[in-house]
Amino acid sequence: MKVWLVLALVLAGALALAACAGHEWASPVDLARALAGDTDMRSRLLFEWRMPRVLAAALVGVLLGLGGAVFQGVFRNPLAEPYLLGSAGGAALGATIALLVPLGASQSLLLPALAFAGAWGATVLVIGVSRVAGAVDAAGMLLAGVAVAAVLGALRSFLMLALSDEAVSLQIVLSWVLGGVQTPTWAVLGLFAAISAGCFGLTTLLARGLDVLGLGETMAIGFGLDVKRFVALAVLAGSVVVAAAVAFGGLVAFVGLAAPHIARWLVGPMHRPLLPASALVGASIVAIADAIARSALPPSEIPLGLVTAVAGGPFFILLLARRLRT
Amino acid sequence: MPPSDRVALVAAACVLGCNAMAAAQPVTVRDAYDRAITLSSPPQRIVTVFASNTEMVAALGLADRIVGIETFTRYPPEVASKPLVGGRLGFSVDAVVGLRPDLVVVTPARQAAHQLLDPMQRLGVPIIVLLQRSVWEILDNIRLLGRAASVPDRGEALAGGLGSRLSATMRRVKDRESPRTLLITGRLGNGLLLVARPGTYTGDAIALAGGRFALDGRGMIAQVSPEAILAADPDVLLYAGSPAERDELIGRPGWSEMRAVTTKRVYTVNRAELLIPGPRTIDGVEHLAALLHPTAAAQ
Repeated sequence: MKVWLVLALVLAGALALAACAGHEWASPVDLARALAGDTDMRSRLLFEWRMPRVLAAALVGVLLGLGGAVFQGVFRNPLAEPYLLGSAGGAALGATIALLVPLGASQSLLLPALAFAGAWGATVLVIGVSRVAGAVDAAGMLLAGVAVAAVLGALRSFLMLALSDEAVSLQIVLSWVLGGVQTPTWAVLGLFAAISAGCFGLTTLLARGLDVLGLGETMAIGFGLDVKRFVALAVLAGSVVVAAAVAFGGLVAFVGLAAPHIARWLVGPMHRPLLPASALVGASIVAIADAIARSALPPSEIPLGLVTAVAGGPFFILLLARRLRT
Repeated sequence: MPPSDRVALVAAACVLGCNAMAAAQPVTVRDAYDRAITLSSPPQRIVTVFASNTEMVAALGLADRIVGIETFTRYPPEVASKPLVGGRLGFSVDAVVGLRPDLVVVTPARQAAHQLLDPMQRLGVPIIVLLQRSVWEILDNIRLLGRAASVPDRGEALAGGLGSRLSATMRRVKDRESPRTLLITGRLGNGLLLVARPGTYTGDAIALAGGRFALDGRGMIAQVSPEAILAADPDVLLYAGSPAERDELIGRPGWSEMRAVTTKRVYTVNRAELLIPGPRTIDGVEHLAALLHPTAAAQ
């Protein structure tokens, strides 16, 4: 119980800090005034722009935490991360099309829609390819993921070269790929919150299967789990979660890898507590990282994915070292 | 105060007030994205993102109303020290709002429109997006900014004057043979060169100055290999940069036999004039015309 209280308090603190952070720091009094409906331009900036952004960042973290926990569970590998099966490459391709190809529709709709379609489509493609190749085990899926990611990456690079000009800048695509939380309207944020809740529900359904799978394939079969079917379903569900994160947050490195680990230290390996704990940890990490991205180098903004990568790289090496030692 | 004086004072106040109200008529302009932007009163605090927009607003005599610029704006000198709202890494909504602007002017380059349009619209800050696909569009932008800033006459006068200068230049170079011209605007690390293309204001400036493109093809991408430039063998080669860089470029193997090099028609041109789409672009067209048609300029 104490652990959950700590996690909730850390998240609340992270959200409050993130709401204050910016090129122009706000005080808690400013935040309260903005929430009370003050019509000053700065208050409206805080209410209409910064607060939805902070909450969206936290939700991106929730989804990455959930996605990471599912992928690490499915592949029974602590180094698995949610972008493993082509979703990053697919999402980036979808976003590039949305940003550079004049398709007529509003970009605020197209960008999340195509990023989602790309992320999920790529994972479906990876599973399809590994089936056709007859390699439905984890290693087969990983290799298919590498191949699909290479193809999608090349397509994206080509589109970026061929379609960019002075007006639709390469920088827009690049900064999206490097990760950055879109600032939703409150209505869209509501939708995103509903999607995140749905994703949480979906992953919770996998909890028992992931626990059983963690005992090893033979044991899992002994417990009556149809392993092949479960792995495919879990990967598809996990990639829906990741695709939703990507649609609103671009590619945010390392959070999906780190959050489940930190959560495991706190609540242990069972997925029923691990999933929500990983979500809370992910939310706190992304909220803080986004605050750093927004406030560290005024008047510019550092792409969020770079902030998480700079912090996450050493973390990854630490994990690797611990794993090699045990 | 005697009653008659008081009446006079009230009358004077009314006249002043009425004038102020006349000036405070809402103005609606339509920008390059075909958005209608309504300004309820003349803007007093303008954030101009990019050198071109800053120069146009300053040329309208409104430099003192500019409250924010971006990192690479250096002209005119009196605005160069204004607060920055962004640079190479993008633009800050916080910094813009911190300046409490009542008008923001942007061009969709380096993420500016992408990052600022949506938040400014949500906060109700008027934001005008300008494009410059031709030299004439620059003049239209000046007129548009004049109307938006409630100085439409100044905008008309400035754009009209620049337009007459363009027309005069075009008359001078008319009926003369157009040299095949190539303008190199930059060099990339992989050896490719950036060239001015048709369909851009820089390309338009070359055409207005009486040149034609040595490299054909609409929609041609801006990066070309040095080989393509050697093959095109232009009559006039222009380089937007320093003489030292130009000499280094034409000192490369093969370049010395190029027609423009042997006939000594390789020139440097001013980047600020031809790569910032503002009032100075018209200076650039005149200077280009003098290079492309040296005898015409004397007339």
